[in-house]
Amino acid sequence: MSEPSKLLQVDDLKVSFKLQKGKLDAVKGVSFSIAEGEVVAIVGESGSGKSVIAQSILRILPKNASIDDGSILFCDPKANYKAVDLTSFESTDDYLYEVRGGRISMVFQEPMTALSPLHTIGNQVEEALVLHHEKSSSDARSETEEILRLVGFPDPARGYSMYPFELSGGLRQRAVIAMALICNPALVIADEPTTALDVTVQAQILGLMKELQKKFNTAILMITHDLGVVANMADKVVVIYHGEVMEAGTVDDIFRRPQHPYLKALIAAIPHFDMKENERLVSLRDTDASGLTKTIHKLSSQFRAASPENMDGPHLKVENLRKEFVSTKGSWFGAGDENRIVAVDNVSFEINRGECLGLVGESGSGKTTVSKLIMKALEATSGSVHLNTGQGMKDVLGLEGRELMDFRRRVQMIFQDPYSSLNPRMTIQNILNEPYVIHGLANENSQQDDILDLIRLVGMESNCLNRYPHSFSGGQRQRIGIARALALHPEIMICDEPVSALDVSVQAQILNLLNDLRKELGLTSLFISHNLAVVNYVADRIAVMCQGKLVEIASREQLFSNPHHPYTKSLLSAVPYPDLDRLLDFETIKYTSSVEADDWGMLFKPSAEAGLESIRVDEGHFVLANCNCNPSDLRAL
Amino acid sequence: MITYIIKRILYMIPTLVLTSILVFTLIELPPGDYFESYVNELRAAGETVDPKLIEFLRTEYGFDKPIWERYFQWATGMLVGDFGYSFEYELPVREVIGDRLLFTILVTFVTIIFTWLIAFPIGIYSATHQYSWGDYGLTFLGLLGLATPNFLLALIMMFLANEWFGTTIGGLVDPEFIGQPLSWAKFVSVMEHLWIPVIVIGTSGTAAMIRRVRANLLDELRKPYVTTARAKGMTEFRGLMKYPFRMSLNFFIADIGGILPTVISGAEIVAIVLSLETTGPILIQALQSQDMYLAGSFLMLLGFLTVIGVLISDIALAFLDPRIRLQGGVSR
Repeated sequence: MSEPSKLLQVDDLKVSFKLQKGKLDAVKGVSFSIAEGEVVAIVGESGSGKSVIAQSILRILPKNASIDDGSILFCDPKANYKAVDLTSFESTDDYLYEVRGGRISMVFQEPMTALSPLHTIGNQVEEALVLHHEKSSSDARSETEEILRLVGFPDPARGYSMYPFELSGGLRQRAVIAMALICNPALVIADEPTTALDVTVQAQILGLMKELQKKFNTAILMITHDLGVVANMADKVVVIYHGEVMEAGTVDDIFRRPQHPYLKALIAAIPHFDMKENERLVSLRDTDASGLTKTIHKLSSQFRAASPENMDGPHLKVENLRKEFVSTKGSWFGAGDENRIVAVDNVSFEINRGECLGLVGESGSGKTTVSKLIMKALEATSGSVHLNTGQGMKDVLGLEGRELMDFRRRVQMIFQDPYSSLNPRMTIQNILNEPYVIHGLANENSQQDDILDLIRLVGMESNCLNRYPHSFSGGQRQRIGIARALALHPEIMICDEPVSALDVSVQAQILNLLNDLRKELGLTSLFISHNLAVVNYVADRIAVMCQGKLVEIASREQLFSNPHHPYTKSLLSAVPYPDLDRLLDFETIKYTSSVEADDWGMLFKPSAEAGLESIRVDEGHFVLANCNCNPSDLRAL
Repeated sequence: MITYIIKRILYMIPTLVLTSILVFTLIELPPGDYFESYVNELRAAGETVDPKLIEFLRTEYGFDKPIWERYFQWATGMLVGDFGYSFEYELPVREVIGDRLLFTILVTFVTIIFTWLIAFPIGIYSATHQYSWGDYGLTFLGLLGLATPNFLLALIMMFLANEWFGTTIGGLVDPEFIGQPLSWAKFVSVMEHLWIPVIVIGTSGTAAMIRRVRANLLDELRKPYVTTARAKGMTEFRGLMKYPFRMSLNFFIADIGGILPTVISGAEIVAIVLSLETTGPILIQALQSQDMYLAGSFLMLLGFLTVIGVLISDIALAFLDPRIRLQGGVSR
């Protein structure tokens, strides 16, 4: 095979944003090239300028951005590979309208907002076709349905007339891909195309992109922060940091022979499945930890004093928890049609003192609802939650008044979104002070010392107390959220996706911090996440949830080395590893993915005479399966 | 969809019954009635009144009956189009309002259309050229319009029209056409007069509208689907019209419910200054003189138009926005 011809050549690209004060250089001289039919990945953390590069190629930068220097040569195969410099046009030039969507198209990150909610899928996909080719409306429609079928719409004719909000996230992203491919472009720019999707859906979408890329010989410029995705998709990789290329090369060079310290650090910061017990993530930029360790030791005794000394049995016990949400189809008179959604279905587990239980599941699996039920933020439909107070188990769901207040002190929560979980109108001082005020513990003298201890505990300095949340980065805000949760010396910490909004390097810092705090302060914790690698790093035992049911619970080692439930297996097989020797098997994922309960084998489905039950297959390893099945059958799987 | 509309219409009934009870209570609340204020007025003018005549009128109009009976009579009367009797004009309410209602609707609709025609293009321009000189200039003009009291503008316009064009612009037609059937000459005369109240009433509305179009559109322009449209190769203007503009229309359709009542009650003060033959001044007059059936019918009409307006905007929203049509009904 001869060398594929060059398609896009970016040379010394410089892009800057005009700000109120001066100018921000977002891209500082980036060069790379893409050949026909090649997949090139641009990897970087948020703010590295990777999306800006994508927008520069299509010349759809925001108004306050400008290309200062450099060239973007595009050699259109349909125009005899004649090189055209895309930066030489006005952004409203006719030629650019032709290129956009016609020759170079784009797949976006968030499929919900990237599609207009007011227009049907068909209308929006077809539009790209009609803009670039003269087609009769029936031709356009049949071509649109054809591409919808290609991207995996089960019923393209119906999909054509549906609205984005009627579809699942995966199907929406398929529609966006259809929209990008319908004009058979030479290059597709995919800007974080799977970041907003669940891991099993991500694997399917990546497989689809790879398949279509081969079929149409389309080049893909993949923009992502996820090295796992890169390893599975790309031929060439460009690693970018603060608008500059750190390292570029073939995927083999990048993963097997990383040269630049930034790239090495980036790879080291990702939690992976082969980590040894007590192995620490190496965070990219380590924060000064001296103040931290001192405070940890100081507070450790206080924490231990606040929680019950002797404890028989588990610290927290959840039994047969069930939560139904009722939606009524609009009717003002009478009941109307009630639609019951079972968000949490017969979930039971225990957490021992000082242990960390990881709760894994995809969006909609009910994991957050479980945490809210435990916190008594939602009323459970049935079931029970018991907290061990040292003097026996206390029923949490029946707590009221003073006892409920005491319970709230004992159990604290760390939230997913560090931006919206801090009140923007309160200073950090006020935010950290609030728990004391609410619980009537405000004490003029020792108060300030406590707050200072807290802020040092999470690795920050006292001078930040008078500032407002907006002046901190995502990672710092998450630290503040952790400090707030620790203010009342809780015994149990519930972390709901605490790192999923953070960059890899910051994620490593926060995970290390959480691990240290948990161990030093003797906290019991429930760690909720969709990311198996993250859960693997922090949890002692792991519970897997699917569609409201807890399908498997086991120790960390057992779950990863010997999963039994088909859902757990497909979840594990769908995780993209940043490792070239463990690539995703797209073919098997496409055909054997068991995300839907219907695809699970007979052993895991309820039958007419027997329902589902949690069956013990090994010491501390339980699988949800048919009551009548033999545990040895499960073990054999 | 059809069951939705039917349900929505059924829902209007209890609302309107409650409104009518409220209106009736309100106009009954002030001490005395029309006859009392009538007698007082005559006495103040130094005339004597035969108490027997007043007594007779009171029985005649059923004022001796208990309040709930009168309410019932009034409410059921409205159902068959009988709005009661205006004491002041000594005419059935329907005849008092009827003529003027037509003019009012004319003035208001022309004003609304004038507002939209001006506000939408300017709003779109301001939003797409945010912080440009054009945006600032038009915003300044709009705020000027918002800040100028309407009646003052009316007076100035009246003066200027008289100075420059020599026309007396009070009223909506030349006096000789009042009471005449519609003819070409009358139509021309109406058009000649119409533009002044339209501009006067329209300016403040236009300014407010520009600001809202601009704000709503700016919100939508930042949404990712706008980038999607650009990446597809859509030209700026077509993309703007198809996506963000259409999204920003929601607020404005939801607004119809608020616009309809102003059709008959809006701009009373301007109407008085310009002596327009619209319904606004009559409403004020009726409230002052406790001409209860006239005032009551007016208020009822306002309530009715509000309910209808909200209905229209709800139905239109459901038609235009699939999210409202297909989702919803989810609770708890």
